Amino acid sequence: MSFSTKYIFILFLSLVFTSCTTDDNTKKDEQKPTISINYDEGFPQGCSQLVRGETYSFRAMVTDDVELASYSLDIHHNFDHHTHDDQEGSCSLDPKKTATDPWIFIENYSIEDGLTTYEINLSLTIPNDIDTGDYHCSFSVIDETGWQSRTSVDIKIIE
Amino acid sequence: MIHKVLSAWLFFSLCSMVFAQDSFQIKGLVINAKTLQPIEGANVIGKGLFSISSSTGTFTIENVARGTRSLTISHIGYSSNMVTIKVGPKMDSLTVALKESATQLQEVEVNGKSKKRQNQEYAAVTHTVSKDFLDKNRENSLMQTLKNIPGVSTINIGSGQSKPVIRGLGFNRVVVVQNGIKHEAQQWGNDHGLEIDQYGVETVKIIKGPASLQYGSDAIAGVVDIQALKLPLQNSLKGELNLLGENNNDLFGVSAGIQARKNKWFYRGRLTYRDFGDYKVPTDKINYENYVFELHDNNLRNTAGREADASFGIGYISDNIKSETTFSNVNAKNGFFANAHGLEVRSSSIDYDNSNRDIDLPYHKVNHFKITNNTSIAIGEHHLQLDLGYQNNHREELSEPVPHGYMPTPPDSKERIFDKNTYALNIRDSFSPNERHDLTTGVNLEYQDNNIGGWGFLIPAYNRFTIGVFAYDQFELHKDLHLLGGLRYDYGVLDSKSYYDWYPTTVNNSDGSTSYIYMQRAQNKTLDFGNISASLGLSYIHNTTTYKINLGKSFRMPLANELASDGVNYHMYRYERGNLDLDPESSYQLDLDIDHTTAAFSFGASPFVNLFENYIYLNPTSNYYETLQIYEYTQSQVFRVGGEIRASTTVLKNLQLNASAEYVYSRQTSGPKKDFTLPFSPPLSGLFSASYQFKNFLFFGEPEVKANYRITAAQNEIVPPEEVTQGYQVLNMAFSSKLSPFKSSMPVEMRVKLNNVFNTHYYDHSSFYRLIDVPEPGRNLSISLTVPF
Repeated sequence: MSFSTKYIFILFLSLVFTSCTTDDNTKKDEQKPTISINYDEGFPQGCSQLVRGETYSFRAMVTDDVELASYSLDIHHNFDHHTHDDQEGSCSLDPKKTATDPWIFIENYSIEDGLTTYEINLSLTIPNDIDTGDYHCSFSVIDETGWQSRTSVDIKIIE
Repeated sequence: MIHKVLSAWLFFSLCSMVFAQDSFQIKGLVINAKTLQPIEGANVIGKGLFSISSSTGTFTIENVARGTRSLTISHIGYSSNMVTIKVGPKMDSLTVALKESATQLQEVEVNGKSKKRQNQEYAAVTHTVSKDFLDKNRENSLMQTLKNIPGVSTINIGSGQSKPVIRGLGFNRVVVVQNGIKHEAQQWGNDHGLEIDQYGVETVKIIKGPASLQYGSDAIAGVVDIQALKLPLQNSLKGELNLLGENNNDLFGVSAGIQARKNKWFYRGRLTYRDFGDYKVPTDKINYENYVFELHDNNLRNTAGREADASFGIGYISDNIKSETTFSNVNAKNGFFANAHGLEVRSSSIDYDNSNRDIDLPYHKVNHFKITNNTSIAIGEHHLQLDLGYQNNHREELSEPVPHGYMPTPPDSKERIFDKNTYALNIRDSFSPNERHDLTTGVNLEYQDNNIGGWGFLIPAYNRFTIGVFAYDQFELHKDLHLLGGLRYDYGVLDSKSYYDWYPTTVNNSDGSTSYIYMQRAQNKTLDFGNISASLGLSYIHNTTTYKINLGKSFRMPLANELASDGVNYHMYRYERGNLDLDPESSYQLDLDIDHTTAAFSFGASPFVNLFENYIYLNPTSNYYETLQIYEYTQSQVFRVGGEIRASTTVLKNLQLNASAEYVYSRQTSGPKKDFTLPFSPPLSGLFSASYQFKNFLFFGEPEVKANYRITAAQNEIVPPEEVTQGYQVLNMAFSSKLSPFKSSMPVEMRVKLNNVFNTHYYDHSSFYRLIDVPEPGRNLSISLTVPF
């Protein structure tokens, strides 16, 4: 008795387990988008020095296997050396200092529907009245599903 | 004052020792009067004499002086037996037969049935974990110890903290109960552990399934019920000292417990201290996205911690009343990995590698103070159980102040402070109108007062009041067929407090002007919820096989952060937005359980099917708030199926083999992440173990070697922002033995464990550090001693 019930149960259990793996055909987006500044026009490159009052094109290439949705650019000071970038080689940082009037650039943008490749290209003028010194510049991108990728680069803003 | 005197008395009276001369040895065997099977763990007590029966039922008392002695042999679930023997030369071995019975007042069911039989008749799928199992499998935290039970896993952060996960669901979906009172901390958080001293735990009941009927809101996936400690025997005084050392994180731990009972009054006390350094991982660098973190000496930087716990209990027992009041305090400080806090990569001028034992920023401190009173009163056919509890959970999360977004550099390192007071009262009446019914009715009341502080905002302050009334009946349809059915109604009110940023945010208005606004993150809101839960189950016992089927509906009230949060979680690079329109989560589950146990072989399977109408899910959207991804609390339908199988056999007399496997399949069947799984889904996993008990040699008693091999499949089922986790195989070895270096004393239990024998580099899909590609701890040698006195 007990042996037959045992086998029935094993059979039942294997049925439960196998029956539920059949609907896996649904295509799901399991890929993160990519983001890179490592191409000729990518800007800024690691350890770049940007001059106050000048205008620069901030450029990064983003791709996704399904559809891109939005991106953001965040530039904040690193006077306290709290973080570092993900680029090869490390930049020499100025001595630590207290921020008085640091530049904060925090913006996000949407990408038009249906694209799988896109070049972020933002023309920004570095304000004249901000603190010079070490800054951290980070790009990020989100795809339609909600996967996010980020890249960051250390830069210096000079007189 | 009386407590001080009592505790002083308790701790100074540890030093009593027994010396005897002209000595003989009493040998004996304790068996079940009905089945004639040996009884393990029976207390054998006489004046100045003490022993505990082994797994083969035998006991020995050394150094007994000549004369007539009385011994009382007792065991939970059996009525005690007193025997008188003449101690002298040519003594016969003693055989004591105990009759099953359970007229212990601490058990609410007074029906003369053994614990095992009661569990068989109880239709819900439960798993009882004994002190023996806890001792043998002890890991760094209580939950890591319980991980060896199929269907139970953990979400870990570092080596010292972990939270319970049952069949893939955790956080506020699993209730932890201690002494009948729900343990209330900040269990919603990713990086919060469980503030319970694992040395103060004897028996744990695990319910793998919906249990709102008895436990109320949150018991939607299961319950870890840490049961009240067993009553000390009359006129007894005993204690134990536990010592633990580990080499992976240079841990040392010491815990001392003592319990005593005169006739009607009893006392217990325990002190625990643990201190550990950074833990070692089998790699010298961590690659997280494009970042590379070099590790010094394989130490996972700044994961050291310490814990100091104390508890004291005093109780009274008479014929129809038993009452115990327990005071406990758990205090812990744990460091977090320094190179990345959450997902955020951090640089610091702190010299983390100077010492592997210091706890630098970021770290957290937590203090959990608890008073519980458990009183049971017998009035005729009624058994009244009152559980009263007060808890204060104070948590501080500290990190180096860093400006974020529009937030300037904060003034200090106090990022988040949570202070939560919880008051609970449970009243339950069990009544047997006749032999066949066991009717239980009850009411649960709970009030929470949660306050926040610090410069980082995640969840609003709130007050919450809940009340639940329930009734269930265990009905004996036939000697071997039992029905368990019940109904419950809960009502809750949540009152969230408004919160404004302490710094202004720059807002560009549509007319081209710019304003600087102190943003509002949470609103003053009062929300109320009502819910019905129910359960119906059958248990059928056929010879050595037990079949159970149970259908239950459980629920969970939305949490304050799910409803009202509106803030930035910088460490996770996300902006979390609550939703005031969330409904209580409700879940339907069908559980089956079959258990076949004979002396030589046992087999069990417990499959389940589960449907959530409205699972609350923190959904990563494709939009930003400033430059952080917006995560929104949404509700979706979820379908889950899975279960556990287990088998064990005694191949040779001393060789025992165990195997178990667990699997859960989860699918969101509606909502923005339709067809995706749920976060932290545990992969298919199997655990094989073999233990062999050798003959006694030298002063090693019952030496046992155990090998434990876990095989876990890859987890390819992920949801943003998770990553696929490869499968792994890990071998753990253990050696345990009873040491009797001095003939006059009780044996010392020794355990030597070698975890991750091959120093395997692998990832645990449900570890918090998995997100930043930190592997699991490397090889760890631990030695623990339990010295009874």
